[in-house]
Amino acid sequence: MKCAPFEYVRPTSVDDVLAALAEADGEGKILAGGQSLVPVMALRMARPAVLVDVNKVEGLSDLECDDGSVHVGALVRHRTLAEQTAHPLLAEAARHIGHTAIRTRGTAGGSIAHADPAAELPVVAVATGATVTVAGADGDRWVAAEDLFAGPLMTTLDPDEMVTGIDFPVPTRWGFAEFARRHGDFALVTVVVAEVDGDLRIVVGGVGPVPIRARSTGAETLGDELTPTGDLHGSADFRRGLAIEMARRALASAGIQG
Amino acid sequence: MSSLGTSPPRKEDRRLVTGRGRFVGDLQLPRMRHVAFVRSPIAHARITTLDAGPARDAGYRVFTQADLGGIVLRAQSALPSYVETGQPALAEGKVRFQGEPVAAVVATDRYRAEDGAELVEVDYAPLPPTVCAWLPPESPVHDEAPDNVLLERTFDAGDVDATLASAFLTVRRELTTNRHAGNPMECRAGVALFDPADRRLTFWSGTQVPHLVRNMIAELLGLSEGNVRVVAPDVGGGFGVKAVLYPEDVALCAIALEMPGTPVKWVEDRVEHLAAATHARDHRYLLTAGFSEDGTLLALDADVTCNVGAYSVYPWTAGIEPLMAGGLLTGPYKLTHYRATVRGVATNTAPSGPYRGVARPASVFAMETMLDDAAARLGMTGVDIRRRNVIRPEDIPYKMPSRLVDDSGHYDECLTKALDAVGYDDLVEEQQRRRGTDEPQIGIGFACYNELTGLGRAASAGPRMPFRTGHDACTVRINPDGRVTVFSGVTSQGQGLETTVAQIVADALGVGYDDVDVRIGDTDASLWGFGAFSSRQAVIGGGAAHRSALAARTKVLRLAAGLLEADPSDLLIENGVIAVAGSPDVTIGLPEVARVAYLESNRLPEGIEPGLEATEFYDPIRGAFAAGAQVAAVEVDRTTGSISILRWACVEDAGRAMHPQIVDGQIAGSIAQGIGGALYEHLVYDDDGNLSTGTLLDYLMPTSAEIPEMTIGHVERPAANPLGVRGVGEGGTLGPNAVLAGAVSDALGVKIDELPLSPSVVWTAARRAAEDRGVVDEDGGPDRE
Ligand SMILES: Cc1cc2nc3c(=O)[nH]c(=O)nc-3n(C[C@H](O)[C@H](O)[C@H](O)COP(=O)(O)OP(=O)(O)OC[C@H]3O[C@@H](n4cnc5c(N)ncnc54)[C@H](O)[C@@H]3O)c2cc1C
Repeated sequence: MKCAPFEYVRPTSVDDVLAALAEADGEGKILAGGQSLVPVMALRMARPAVLVDVNKVEGLSDLECDDGSVHVGALVRHRTLAEQTAHPLLAEAARHIGHTAIRTRGTAGGSIAHADPAAELPVVAVATGATVTVAGADGDRWVAAEDLFAGPLMTTLDPDEMVTGIDFPVPTRWGFAEFARRHGDFALVTVVVAEVDGDLRIVVGGVGPVPIRARSTGAETLGDELTPTGDLHGSADFRRGLAIEMARRALASAGIQG
Repeated sequence: MSSLGTSPPRKEDRRLVTGRGRFVGDLQLPRMRHVAFVRSPIAHARITTLDAGPARDAGYRVFTQADLGGIVLRAQSALPSYVETGQPALAEGKVRFQGEPVAAVVATDRYRAEDGAELVEVDYAPLPPTVCAWLPPESPVHDEAPDNVLLERTFDAGDVDATLASAFLTVRRELTTNRHAGNPMECRAGVALFDPADRRLTFWSGTQVPHLVRNMIAELLGLSEGNVRVVAPDVGGGFGVKAVLYPEDVALCAIALEMPGTPVKWVEDRVEHLAAATHARDHRYLLTAGFSEDGTLLALDADVTCNVGAYSVYPWTAGIEPLMAGGLLTGPYKLTHYRATVRGVATNTAPSGPYRGVARPASVFAMETMLDDAAARLGMTGVDIRRRNVIRPEDIPYKMPSRLVDDSGHYDECLTKALDAVGYDDLVEEQQRRRGTDEPQIGIGFACYNELTGLGRAASAGPRMPFRTGHDACTVRINPDGRVTVFSGVTSQGQGLETTVAQIVADALGVGYDDVDVRIGDTDASLWGFGAFSSRQAVIGGGAAHRSALAARTKVLRLAAGLLEADPSDLLIENGVIAVAGSPDVTIGLPEVARVAYLESNRLPEGIEPGLEATEFYDPIRGAFAAGAQVAAVEVDRTTGSISILRWACVEDAGRAMHPQIVDGQIAGSIAQGIGGALYEHLVYDDDGNLSTGTLLDYLMPTSAEIPEMTIGHVERPAANPLGVRGVGEGGTLGPNAVLAGAVSDALGVKIDELPLSPSVVWTAARRAAEDRGVVDEDGGPDRE
């Protein structure tokens, strides 16, 4: 469980990050909080030739509120999200990420870019209709969260692009519920209910390759839309049952009749 | 002032809580090299190519089984059905489980060693793997055992068939328990150094059994035993996993012999540990029990299969779990008619070995499930059926149907105290109130168990290995300054043995606790000790400390008597001061006596040799049973299958509690470990023999957040040994499987046939119960509740 050899660079600007990634020619990887990347490197399942540490990049650690939305810089730590009060849904979700040590290092940009189907922030991003700012060789582009997640641990980002921030609209009503085996574990199922600009979304994490936005607005009918698969933690039916129950709880906490 | 029975600060905590512990991983020696093992990615295969050439060309030292002279570990037993098989230090010709070491690579650091390991080329021709021990074998794991059965034995007492045939009620169940492991915080670790000048090998190892390791390493490597020194420094948890001599240990020492003067270090990582350190508790029980109308257990017929994994674990053999399961299945219950066929079956999974509680967390679950099932059918409570059947103080000594002799008998008292501690009557009331509502249902679970501890030569016979683990030695040395150093054969992986041994010696010798230091874990320092397993050290190592301290005391008094011109039998020693009974002014301090013993031979009384030291052995011959009972109440959320533990109580008979805080810590820790096994920990292999739970992301250990507050109570019935103690190291693990399965089954009115009680298992059972209830309701009411 020791990493394979790699080069290490630590640029201080987004431009230099992009240059380092371009130079690595597809063999580079951004290192943010390291809470997802370093374990897979230790298992030698990830073997980047160049590690581009973005922790010293200026200007990506800010959290700004304007006009019904919270802008979260890519390097904002989960812990900051959990402690801020401008976006209560984001705070609630961030409190469910791992343990204190993980929240202290792990970053919002890292979580979004890593695209773990069981992670909380991607579910919140899809549920609130968040916009992800992506820097690339041709300048910035803005991607709706729904269009970013392409599969388990897969996004539509190019290998030489970088997430620099995420804009999370603040919902008028919201509910959050998740079920994890132990305190701090990745959830088996996360359901986020959010109403933004009168548009109510129910989004489910952990039951498919990406966060799933439900068509139905009730917990019972939601079960029919999902096609979970069984795994170590239980059967597909169990997952579906959990999703229905978590939807019921999230809707109830949003004050919405399921 | 007696130290025993109080809880002074632990001797080891000064270093352990200030970060100054000395673990094998901390050891840095000049020119040290690091080892990484190439491990099989496949469960069962022939090795068609093993080419170290590319790694050697890149500058790495590489060792294969051939390079190490083909060392094979052969666990031995004289039991007639035992099929002896070998475990190579490094695989040769064939691999038998995923994670088996195939080659070792040495480099200047662990990163480079792992780089080198990637360069070793191994080709495998897969063979069909066998993963489940109770399905027909695919292809034998060992040629010597075509049916994969390494050992089978039948315990037989009374007339089971006739008794079952005439019983009022017979209960039949098939139960399986989940494979899990001790998984200590510190994984395995070793540093080996061979000094060619005097042909001495030093092996620093995180082992529970240094003297056994010395004996086995010397024999396997052909070294003089006196030239092998095994040092177990601070060890971060063992739980039985480190009571085994592993092929990696042997390979490391053999590599050291090939690289004289160069220390070689291997610190196991968690992935290796989960894959290749011993597992346990992968059992199936087929049980038929007969009861009379009043709930008396009349007969038990059992067929127990234990998955022993790919190798017969060295030196304990594949018999360790099956024989324990058969010998203790009936637990604290009186029974005459008992038949149990137990077998250890090899599979293409990691070897199973000793793990805290050995087999009994599974066998207690099996036995208690039978009682709960019978109680439900007979309309009795779980409490009543246990009271009906437990061995009672007036039955002691009670010969169990497996012929073990129970010397405790305080089960009912333990159970009653545990019921009081959880507030049983109130719980039942609340449980009844919630029945039929949508609120989470409450279930109450029970376990009574007898923990066999401190086994002497007559009881330790077990798998009939070529050694008997009944005794330990201890040396008590009074230094020239009058302070005491104890060289004890016990070892500690966190149990606080330095403290307990110091208390025993302080009291027996008549000195203060602070004047005693204890050295453990170094075979060059202490004479002999089998080490930590079978909850034996308080009884046996403690007994040896007590006896050697008394012997040292006798020497002190003889010498003091000469100096004081008194009769030794008139002397008392307390807190390091020797006084003449009845003449409080005539005293001499231990420092002065010790000074005479070493430095002032001119003052030595006639006939007394210099020095103040005594070494004694102790063997209790039999064992000491520790009675125990646990009771818990849980709340089951039927919508998610999750369980919250509302109350937990455990009452045990630890005999005399020497350091009550350590005793409680042992019990709390072992219950926590039991809860982990009951609810979370599961080593899962897929059908191809790949370990699906290979990291702590998937192998779920309980954290403090998952462990409830618990009430720990005691019934202190002194055992028949010099200190009156019973072992407490393992008992706590025996209860939780049974308690939690019983509680869930009580809450939902379902049968629990498998562990762990994961949310999906509980959710599925709750759903089944709801469906059944729907069906049953139409026919006119449920048949239970
Ligand atoms: C024990 C444990 C428990 C955990 N539990 C949870 C949990 O319950 N819920 C949860 O959501 N997460 C959990 N995590 C993961 C944690 O939240 C991670 O911090 C997060 O998923 C990734 O963020 P990071 O900053 O650590 O990214 P890193 O590990 O540094 O990187 C992850 C990936 O994202 C890429 N990346 C990082 N930043 C950027 C960027 N700005 N632009 C483009 N690509 C980027 C990296 O190249 C890498 O591929 C857990 C982790 C651990 C170790």
